[in-house]
Amino acid sequence: MSLTDLMSMAKPNVEAREKILSKLSGRELVNCFQCLKCTSGCTALKLLELKPHEIVKLVNLGFVDELASSDIIWTCVTCLKCVQRCPQKASPYHVIMALRNLAVEREVKVPEGYLKAVSRILESGLAEAVQDVVTKKMEIFNRESLKLPKIAFPKESFQAAFMKIMEER
Amino acid sequence: MKVAVFWGCRILTSQYAYEMSVREAFPKLNIELVDLSETNCCGDPVKSMKDLAANYLAARVLALANKTGLDNLLVPCNRCHFVISEAKNVLEKNERFSQKIIEVLKEEGLEYNPNVRIWHVIDFLHDFVGLDNVKKAVQKSLKGLKLATHVGCQIIRYSDLGRVDDAENPRKLDELVSALGAETVDYAEKLDCCGANLMYSHSDSALSLAGTKLSVLQNLGVDGLVVSCPDCGLMFDSKQKDAGTTVGAKLDLPVAYYTQLLGLSLGIEQEKLGLHLNQSPINQLLTKVSP
Repeated sequence: MSLTDLMSMAKPNVEAREKILSKLSGRELVNCFQCLKCTSGCTALKLLELKPHEIVKLVNLGFVDELASSDIIWTCVTCLKCVQRCPQKASPYHVIMALRNLAVEREVKVPEGYLKAVSRILESGLAEAVQDVVTKKMEIFNRESLKLPKIAFPKESFQAAFMKIMEER
Repeated sequence: MKVAVFWGCRILTSQYAYEMSVREAFPKLNIELVDLSETNCCGDPVKSMKDLAANYLAARVLALANKTGLDNLLVPCNRCHFVISEAKNVLEKNERFSQKIIEVLKEEGLEYNPNVRIWHVIDFLHDFVGLDNVKKAVQKSLKGLKLATHVGCQIIRYSDLGRVDDAENPRKLDELVSALGAETVDYAEKLDCCGANLMYSHSDSALSLAGTKLSVLQNLGVDGLVVSCPDCGLMFDSKQKDAGTTVGAKLDLPVAYYTQLLGLSLGIEQEKLGLHLNQSPINQLLTKVSP
């Protein structure tokens, strides 16, 4: 979970920094003045030591490679409080999402849950598998026994379209 | 009045009680739900992987809604509501993205329509149906119940997108609960997140967030917690036991979807509202509702 120490000997990657900034058009990271409103309200701070203001600062300094390969970017709960409260519209959530996208592009290790979700979408159109539910009385129910309508899974053409857009550069 | 409805994945695949209660309660308020001809993931998990593809999935939902010819789309899931709202915003601003997406949709014979109005259950009932009409429809008051509400995160933030309620002081769900005759309480942790999104990568932390909030509510002495998002329902109801184990607390707090309570007030049978599916001790709450 370690991040680059700002005093370390790591070299900033200016190109990667530009790449992140270009994904964030309209969200001016450079305007961040480290007020810490994001971090003080961050849901993941308490448990996982996510410090959104640090992430924004590190991107500004060009330490994008370190961030993209760090586990820390996968600890965001996406509660969106930082977007709401950022007075400078730097919105760390969007920075984190851009870093996650970069990590995927670079084929860095991505949490399995996300990979599973995408392969399910490819298979069935949905990110979740249909489940039977067990009540407290240990009775098993499914959509049919609950008299819920059949799921209208997407038609076949969806798969090709989704593949196409996933492969788009 | 006809309204298109997009359920998203979680409701269709496991949070059946939410779907059942919406399907039962809405017709009693003269709202006819029209399912989309197809469904697909809104794009939420894909946002972390490839934002273009996530926005495509959300745009596809709007294109499917467009096919119904209806102007209003009900999206009962908080996450889907956010992802679709943000995609609408991105397609408006990012020409390269929108061109690409519209092109791929066309290949499937689908047409993107940004003018479909998106509603969540909360603002649909509060603002579209109207609080007074909800009140008028109540046959069985929930008077005597003291309930806490959990609005969730993504339908109230971030305001630039136009959200369902105020980002820092949401009131609509509380007002809807009051409309059924129950009392609601304010509490400091009201805006704390259920943690569901962390289930993809850090499930213990996710359960710890849910467990912490449930412990607070249990100590507050409320009769139950009201939710209106399938993720929050999953964390607080379906996974309540696991959440308790994670934080070392014995949790037994009834958790129900708002639409389940609404259904009760409208005189709908418990089984039709999926109340037998709740994993939390919902009977504690039901026995307090006067017959």
